[in-house]
Amino acid sequence: MNVFFKLTTTTGQPLYLQLMQQIRHAAETGALQDGDQLPGIRTLAEELVVSPNTVAKAYSELEHDGLLELRQGSGAFVCVKRRTRSLADHVQVARRRLRDLVERLREDGLLDEEIRRAFEAELLYPAETVRKQ
Amino acid sequence: MLWYKVWLETRSRFLTSLATLTIFSAVFVHHAEGLQRPEWTAAYNRLLYITQQYIVVMWILAVILLGMGGIVREKATGASSLTLSLPVSRALLLGVHVGVGALEAIILAVVPWTGIFLVSSHAGMPILISQVEFYVLLLVAGGLVYFAMAILVSCLVEGEYTAPAVAFGLVFLTTIVFDAWLRPLNLWRLVTGDFCLDRHTYLLSGRFPWLGALACCSVAGVMLLVSVRVMKRREF
Amino acid sequence: MTSTPVIQTRDLTKSYGSAAAVRGLNLSVEPNCITAFLGQNGAGKSTTIKMLLGLVRPSSGEGTVLGMRITDAEENREMRRKVAYVAENKPLYGYMTVEQTIRFVSSFYTDWRADIASKLLNEYKLPPQRKVKSLSKGMRTKLALLLALARRPELLILDEPSEGLDPVGIEHLLQMLVALAADGVTIFFSSHQIAEVERVADHICILDNGRLLVNASLDELRQSYRRIDLVFPVPPPEREFQIVGVERIESKGHEMRVFASKNAEAVVERAHNLNAVSVEVAPVALREIFLETVKEN
Repeated sequence: MNVFFKLTTTTGQPLYLQLMQQIRHAAETGALQDGDQLPGIRTLAEELVVSPNTVAKAYSELEHDGLLELRQGSGAFVCVKRRTRSLADHVQVARRRLRDLVERLREDGLLDEEIRRAFEAELLYPAETVRKQ
Repeated sequence: MLWYKVWLETRSRFLTSLATLTIFSAVFVHHAEGLQRPEWTAAYNRLLYITQQYIVVMWILAVILLGMGGIVREKATGASSLTLSLPVSRALLLGVHVGVGALEAIILAVVPWTGIFLVSSHAGMPILISQVEFYVLLLVAGGLVYFAMAILVSCLVEGEYTAPAVAFGLVFLTTIVFDAWLRPLNLWRLVTGDFCLDRHTYLLSGRFPWLGALACCSVAGVMLLVSVRVMKRREF
Repeated sequence: MTSTPVIQTRDLTKSYGSAAAVRGLNLSVEPNCITAFLGQNGAGKSTTIKMLLGLVRPSSGEGTVLGMRITDAEENREMRRKVAYVAENKPLYGYMTVEQTIRFVSSFYTDWRADIASKLLNEYKLPPQRKVKSLSKGMRTKLALLLALARRPELLILDEPSEGLDPVGIEHLLQMLVALAADGVTIFFSSHQIAEVERVADHICILDNGRLLVNASLDELRQSYRRIDLVFPVPPPEREFQIVGVERIESKGHEMRVFASKNAEAVVERAHNLNAVSVEVAPVALREIFLETVKEN
């Protein structure tokens, strides 16, 4: 395998979501290229020591999203389409904007820990953000 | 493969008992060789009779030890959940235990007597095969009651050492009680052949007590059936 | 999943005298999943498992394993052909050697996998000719596990499997479980080691004091359990937050901590309506979920 995955159990996020994000991230950053093969469900499950259902769920959701192509018997293949590429660009832009925002918050005197928690709260409850405004 | 397990489990008990009984018989034969010729027959038969009583005592002890063990003992030693998770019924587990144990008990009855018979005939001493048969049959038929009782105790009483203690206590107690109050029904007299012994020749005479043997087998059978029922209802 | 549960119990109860070990358990274990059975020592996990396998008779209630009734001796025996089980105390026969133990146990099962058995024998470095009674505790644990792992049962039931294993052994065990799960074996294991459970389990059952308190998928738990820390301008009224899903409320002066098994959004909304100055929502790790659930009871 050409990518490392690292799943943590201390966050409240389901493992399959973490795996999905990491595969997506790898595809966006180019660590996974179009046509690359991912390990089979069994292999990856044994390697990460997680339930095979976790890997299967991540793979099938990613297939649904069009990022993976599951071929019967031969495994999962990455298919990075243009959308993913442009997404990669978007991510680049977003990171720049985030960096600016974090800088501003720090200037306002917020500690990193407070910023992190604020982000988490907003991400967990986006509806709340809208309502408040 | 259940027999294999019971064999491995009882092997050391069985072999120790077999060795003890064999050595004891050898000592008898050795002793008999020293007897004086003129009073040979009666003295020899008397010695045979006395020896036989010791053999019976040792045999009963051995058979009780062989009846010990099984799942209840495993509960105490912690292996019962492995045995009970096997896809076999509890009745079969007990049945194999009984089968292997009974077979070992019969071997323990036959081997010393066969040894005595062979060595005696070889040394030219007058031993009758019918006498040996008589002794062995009495031992097995009557003795199975002791074995069945040991099995029943092993199904009822937990604890590695409590069960044999209870079983030995019961044998001792029943022998005393029967001897005092129920003499005609005393199992001990049947097993040792005491009731059909001719006190002059020290030979077992008369017909083999088929009725008594049948009664013993029935009692043993009932105890084994009760054991199966107890086993089926037990929790582990 | 719509398939029939591998294990299903209805009001399963076991009392010893006046003390109830298991109370009205309604358990349902889905096929092709790894289900963890969590609980403190003495919560009733082992008694439940023993009832499933027919070692202990239920006081009341009923249950099926692989569709076969646990209270019917005949069906229960049939079921044991397809189930591998390792009891908590890792039972073995002291008078057998390692090799004899394997030969004996393997003879009962048609799903025995000799290749896996010899592979595990090597990996575990178990001496085939040694008597079981002279093995160390760790080796005994490994041998007991080998007897269950070297099969391809429909259901694998393990009672505290990692007890007595070192970290390397635990990791290896979890890998074996994952591999078996990938082969389609349904796994049901009890544990009080949260760390091992939260990685491999699909489904969590939490038992406390003989009662089943939680029976949900781990993903669901992770997504729905939240700890919400609130700060109010005036000491907050606790009863405003006693809504469905709120498991526990603690307040100290102006601060309040709400522990919710679901419905965290509603809590946040109420907090804003009550002019909370700070609302922090944090996910909860399984360890905390477990501790909170048990404390709650």
